[in-house]
Amino acid sequence: MKRSLRSWLWRVPLDQEFDEEIELHLEMRTRELIDRGIDPAEARAMAIRKMGDLAHVKATCVDEGRKRDREMRVALFLEELRDDITFAFRQLRAAPAFTIVATLTLALGIGANSAIFALVDATLLRPLPYANPDRLVTIWETSAATPRGFASPPDMLDWKSRSRTFENLAAFTPGVGSMVVAARDGTAETVSRQWVTAGIFDVLGVKPIAGRTFLPEDEQQMAKRVVISEGYWTSRFDRDRAIVGSDIKMDGQLFTIIGVAPKEFEILGRTSMWAMQPFPKTLPPRARGAYQLQVVGRMKPGVAIQAAQSDLAAVADGLAREFPAYNQGRTVTLEPMHDTMIGSDLKTTSMLFLGVVGFVLLICCANVANLLLARATARARELAVRSALGAGRRRIIRQLLTESVVLSIIGGALGIGVGAAILRVAPVLIPAGLLPATVTLTFDLRIVAFCAITALIVGVVFGIAPAFQATKVSASEAMGADGRTTVGGGGRIRGLLVIGEVATAVLLLFGAGLLLRTLMAVQSYDRGYRADNVLTMLVDPLGSAYPPPVKQQQFYDQVEAEVRALPGVADAGWSSGLPLGESVFGEYLFNYEVAGDAPLDPAHQPATGYQIVSPTYFSTLELPIVAGRNFDARDINGGPRVLIVNEAFARSLAPRNPIGLRVTVRPVDSPNDQPITLEIVGVARQVKLHPDDRTDYVQMYTPLLQDPIGDINLLIKPVTGRADALAPAVRAAIARVDRQQLVSVSNITTLEDIEWAATGRHRFRAVMVAAFAVLSLVLAMVGVFGILAYSVQQRVRDFGLRRALGATTGDVLRLVIGSAIRVIAIGAAIGLVLSVATGRLITSMLFGVQPLDVPTFVLVVIVLAATAALSIAGPAWRAAKIDPAVALRAK
Amino acid sequence: MPPTPPKTPNALLHGALDALILKTLTRGPSHGYAVARFIEDTTGDAFLIEDGSLYPALYRLERKGWVEAEWGTSELGRRAKLYRLTPAGRAQLAAEVATWKKFSAGVSKVFAT
Repeated sequence: MKRSLRSWLWRVPLDQEFDEEIELHLEMRTRELIDRGIDPAEARAMAIRKMGDLAHVKATCVDEGRKRDREMRVALFLEELRDDITFAFRQLRAAPAFTIVATLTLALGIGANSAIFALVDATLLRPLPYANPDRLVTIWETSAATPRGFASPPDMLDWKSRSRTFENLAAFTPGVGSMVVAARDGTAETVSRQWVTAGIFDVLGVKPIAGRTFLPEDEQQMAKRVVISEGYWTSRFDRDRAIVGSDIKMDGQLFTIIGVAPKEFEILGRTSMWAMQPFPKTLPPRARGAYQLQVVGRMKPGVAIQAAQSDLAAVADGLAREFPAYNQGRTVTLEPMHDTMIGSDLKTTSMLFLGVVGFVLLICCANVANLLLARATARARELAVRSALGAGRRRIIRQLLTESVVLSIIGGALGIGVGAAILRVAPVLIPAGLLPATVTLTFDLRIVAFCAITALIVGVVFGIAPAFQATKVSASEAMGADGRTTVGGGGRIRGLLVIGEVATAVLLLFGAGLLLRTLMAVQSYDRGYRADNVLTMLVDPLGSAYPPPVKQQQFYDQVEAEVRALPGVADAGWSSGLPLGESVFGEYLFNYEVAGDAPLDPAHQPATGYQIVSPTYFSTLELPIVAGRNFDARDINGGPRVLIVNEAFARSLAPRNPIGLRVTVRPVDSPNDQPITLEIVGVARQVKLHPDDRTDYVQMYTPLLQDPIGDINLLIKPVTGRADALAPAVRAAIARVDRQQLVSVSNITTLEDIEWAATGRHRFRAVMVAAFAVLSLVLAMVGVFGILAYSVQQRVRDFGLRRALGATTGDVLRLVIGSAIRVIAIGAAIGLVLSVATGRLITSMLFGVQPLDVPTFVLVVIVLAATAALSIAGPAWRAAKIDPAVALRAK
Repeated sequence: MPPTPPKTPNALLHGALDALILKTLTRGPSHGYAVARFIEDTTGDAFLIEDGSLYPALYRLERKGWVEAEWGTSELGRRAKLYRLTPAGRAQLAAEVATWKKFSAGVSKVFAT
């Protein structure tokens, strides 16, 4: 301690100290030499000579001294820190109620933040789990109509051979299909399968965990080989390495399992296996029009995405000149693969949540700061004593900050637990399909580090104002007071903090209100059809076993007959797409024009969606035909082509009556394809494609009889009861028709579930933001309650005096409630202004409600008023009960 | 530059100087000059050092916590920086003396053959 004292109390600069020391030495040496009889002038010179290289000595000594001082300061700092921490723990133990409330508040705030950080980390921060992921890009083939379109196989091959900026290019089909395999027990099982090109594993840099992945030779030989996923390997083969090299019968053909790909690879699609899309050596010219591949490229090291973009755009221009029939007007757009996989919707959702929990944490900080301020007032005398005993203001502030950081670290440690718990239940809350396969919410060291850093920052943030406030009161003032009259200057800061809390809570409530209104809007929209209790499944009869059109149609007819014969089935039909679900094909597919009209510029032709249905589809869904007729026995294969259009399609033809009108349709972006002319026989009611469509989707229906398709949804409506209860009976009915087990049945679900999933992200956002908003409201009201209760306690004598002087209970109540209402009203006003200012930011997440929604405003105010009344009631009651006689006598 | 007197071999001097200073301070707090004089007087010509080299050693010892410095008054009533041995310094001295004894005994044995 002596050493440290010296370095603190004695602050002469080191070089002065050294000069003085040496001067004494020289003088004494000189005197000694004079005493020995040497001439004084000569003696001084000798003394200096004897000293040696003084400049060097001085430099060494000063350097050494500096290092010593620095080390001492660190030692002193650590010593004081240890003392402060010990003291802080003693203080927190002495006030258990305060400590529990404060740490729990912080634990909630930090825990919620850590859970959301896990989401943000997984979606925005973490790179894809591949080697050098920053060199991976998605290459979209684009046209005026489709800004992010898929590529045709020949285009992909040409990009690969003609570009200079890519190491390698590969592709996969975006959708996951299915194949029929023998299950363990020998029955037919449908497993998911995704088509890829051979190079996909190399482009992503994925190493197999058993066997090998595809080689270029596999592709050239058009070999029947598959790579299975780790999940399927585990569930079906118990991770048996011997499975590699063995054959497995799928869709009636033998495939060889050549390897197992690790879980990370499932990013492309959740599937059991990957098979190579058959690429004949010479692709027919029309293959250029088959836009079906999602292309991934690995850029060469050091190539910027812009350079790769212009390189490939030049290649695409060349292709457009060589193959104008298919490639005119088509170019490419590159996008970092990370962006493709995560998607903008998930990004904005993550950012929204991050902002919301950030506000929640701020409210937590404000609440704890409030508690600390109240305590600081109570501790004013203790602090004054310490300062009178010689502790400087900086020292006391440091001590108080240490206390708040200790508090926040305890809160942070509990927060880690809260975060882990939230992440544990999160998978239940998060709608399926919102998170891509790459995104896994894990609780790891990164989250712990996040909690630790947040806790430190939070500790300083909520501690700094109270610490400065507490040390402002002068020592004599605080010690002279008897503890009853010291109100402390913290009152204004506390008021401001609570105003801020109320404002933030109002902002979050308002946001939650808008998102809840959006959820209500997407759930209560007019979907067009009445039946929702409908079972659906995707049926895929193998083309070689059930060749279209005759055998295939026979199969469908037999299945429909079997299913209709089942007890409890009211209706059954077929369709290539499902309302709100994914269409087998995607979205707008055909341009159309009225036959005989002057031809339109292809770029301006209207486009329509396309759905193939059986006549029974409309009755099964209870989708009314509003004009004309349904498909019927007249519409046979080879007969005149007919179609039914939806209301948006019919409107686009106004003022002409659509019934009987003939339209010409042609696949989008394929001006050279042969157009087909069909006659409109009916108009069906409008059905939504997505629950949050802002415009009516244009749709046409063609009869299954005239438009055979081998991958189709079967829809079954029960007479009563749950639709999914029919599933086993329906599967058995299909098996009775499909004796050879060559039909894959997958995606068994109900329309209700599809609708639930379609509104999932709205529900997720609304529920999460609402939960955080409620939390923030509760915290803010705890804050209001806190300052009110405190000020009533401080003013007991004041109120007592007023009562004694004739004030009524009503007068006192007015005083208490008035001050509370002032704080809440100011906070609410600021919050509403902030809501108006920031409402625009979430416009993209809203549907059916404007950012300045008046009902939401009103609702927020009502909710606020109701909760405010609760928080005011206690303190007001206490103030009203004050007995002047007791209050004035009390110390 | 005037000619400097011949020095004792460096290696011996460097390690020994610290020990000598510590030993000197066992007699009580001293300022730098007094330490220098004591070393001169007791070692005779065996240990001729420049006065300047004493101070880096003192500062080094202070940084290590073996001595501590304080401003006090010299025997002539002048303000002087006095160095005092700390308990840690005392322990260090004991260790150095023990090492030195072992070393010199060994060397003496070699020379005695």
